[in-house]
Amino acid sequence: MKYHIVQLGCQMNISDGERVQQVLEGMGFEATDKEEEASLLGVIACSVRQKGIDKVYNMVAKWNKWKNRKNLITFVSGCVLPADKQKFLKMFDLVFPMSQLPQLPEMISQYGIVSAASMQTLDAGLSDLVKSHDQVALNPAAFRLNPTAFKPTHVGITPQKPDERIEDFWHIAPKYGSGFEAFIPIQNGCNKFCTFCAVPYTRGREVSRPSEEILNELKHLVAKGFKSITLLGQNVNSYGLDKKGTEISFAGLLKMIGEFGQQSNEDFWVYFTSPHPRDMSDDIIEVVARYDCLAKQIHLPVQSGDDNMLVRMNRNHGMGKYREIVSTIRRLIPQATLFTDIIVGFTGETEEEFNNTMKIMGEFKYNMAYIAQYSPRPGAASSRWDDDIPQEEKKERYHLLTNEMMKHTLEYNQLLVGRTLKVLVRGNDRKKGYLSAYTEGRIVARFQCNKNEMVGKYATIKVTSAAPLSIEGVLVN
Amino acid sequence: MQSKGKHKLHAIKFLTGSTYIMQMERNGLEFEAGQHILLGADGDLNQREYSIYSGNNDTFLEVLIKEVDDGDVSKKLKDTKPGAFLQVEGPLGFFSLDQTLIPTHQFLFISSGTGIAPFHSMVKSHPELDYTLLHGVRYGLEGYEKDTYARNRYIQCTSGDQTGDFAGRVTDYLLKHTFDKATICYFCGNFKMIREAMDILDKKGFPHNQLHAEVYF
Repeated sequence: MKYHIVQLGCQMNISDGERVQQVLEGMGFEATDKEEEASLLGVIACSVRQKGIDKVYNMVAKWNKWKNRKNLITFVSGCVLPADKQKFLKMFDLVFPMSQLPQLPEMISQYGIVSAASMQTLDAGLSDLVKSHDQVALNPAAFRLNPTAFKPTHVGITPQKPDERIEDFWHIAPKYGSGFEAFIPIQNGCNKFCTFCAVPYTRGREVSRPSEEILNELKHLVAKGFKSITLLGQNVNSYGLDKKGTEISFAGLLKMIGEFGQQSNEDFWVYFTSPHPRDMSDDIIEVVARYDCLAKQIHLPVQSGDDNMLVRMNRNHGMGKYREIVSTIRRLIPQATLFTDIIVGFTGETEEEFNNTMKIMGEFKYNMAYIAQYSPRPGAASSRWDDDIPQEEKKERYHLLTNEMMKHTLEYNQLLVGRTLKVLVRGNDRKKGYLSAYTEGRIVARFQCNKNEMVGKYATIKVTSAAPLSIEGVLVN
Repeated sequence: MQSKGKHKLHAIKFLTGSTYIMQMERNGLEFEAGQHILLGADGDLNQREYSIYSGNNDTFLEVLIKEVDDGDVSKKLKDTKPGAFLQVEGPLGFFSLDQTLIPTHQFLFISSGTGIAPFHSMVKSHPELDYTLLHGVRYGLEGYEKDTYARNRYIQCTSGDQTGDFAGRVTDYLLKHTFDKATICYFCGNFKMIREAMDILDKKGFPHNQLHAEVYF
């Protein structure tokens, strides 16, 4: 029997999805890209934007219609706000937080399915399906099977276990989506309550994964030849703070990984995302500077370059603190690339406040800025405020900022022309006959080459030309 | 240490028709004055952040709530009966005093409406504080438990009547008065007030690292 999962949202959801796949495949389910072929349909939801949640509603409405002609189980997990969760309970067969993933086989078995193979035997019961469209509209999620043949004891119920623990979820080995790049979740949840963000309401409080487990997963990946490993967390550098001295700090974790990197003699790059400026201490930057395996790329979300906006966003730091961090990065790791996240058109953002964000593009010369036009995230505090910047104005600010960023990224990339750089080859480029790669600083690169066996390996290129968001080169070895 | 648990409601005390204090069991919850909790009715999926109103030395936990017309949580909480359980998660947040500065510095607390809550907690937790508390409200009757504060430290600014200590907004008060530049300033309340107040103090030459804000929605 086949399953199909729709993953929406950030790297965290992608990483979570890898563990969901492992559980399902452990039950004997087989992945399919075609949702029509699947008997088990799931979605890892994202509440960052209403659009993402709307997609979930559309999907489940479609899937529930399919139940008239097909035996299906549907589930939803991931980032779900309480209000949506209440509605999903009536629409999906299973609604569970990621921390309860270890219980997924048990939940599915409550439908009388203990393995994918046994699900096939249920097809006999399909003749008992009640095909009334009216009834489907009333409760589309419920199975329309003869209750004596099939006992859906778990229809639309969220399992509530008092001992729900994200730690159990982390014990599940993921099914990595790549043979050379992987995510390692090290922390879940958020205590920061930025006013534009719904994550604290969907993922709960910060919980750190035991450092020993993280190191073991990393060693396992390195032994398997993985070249790029990203430590993931909503506030990755708040790692350990929830343990109040019983766990090492984020700097300590990086140091441990750095030491392993030195001893292993293996070549790999370790990244981390996303840190919060409030918890970005000098010792983290010092450790990144010290160890070769810790990639010289820092993603430091700024969100706005204006102190007023930062207050309104409840970022709990000002531009003064941010400047100090960037200055430390530049001093200790001059070769590091700097990435950021920015929101334009946040509630009440004046022209002057926006201009302050424009100014920092020149000041910090980011290598990449992920710029978003503000849209209220239901559940987040700011969703209760007027979204008072017109859409056209947001678009205009987005374009202005993007153009400003590209001026500086182009300048930086042009400085790379003529230099020889090590890159990690990721796959075929859109340009025919070229491979796509990225540098240690995650600058996208491409070079002419037809050897697909190079994918997942390091290569050395000489940079021949530069564009705002990428470089091009020729293979040196 | 953060905790997540159920706290039995002791009592609800109404300060105005729509503003009330919820007093509940503390259950050993440790917090720093100024922090907030996530609070909701037992079994309700929805929770909201509320600053802790009670002091660090109190045996109970209190929050100050203004009922929101279309609010999911504040209305349900208001209808909770004493003896019922509430869901509490926390403490959370970074809006707290630097303890090392308490013996040597003056503090200026600038609040509007229920934004007075964290300052109530700070004052009760640290009786030795050298502070001035500005409280912006529309009418004088909104001086929530103003007798808690020493008479010379609490300044009620009323914009809708003349019954306060100062007729006008807190921002008007700030414009008309001078403060020692070494004063540590804390803001809590609606953002418009905070932004204007921060601008005023910025123009008066207060360094940014002496300005701390908690935005109420």
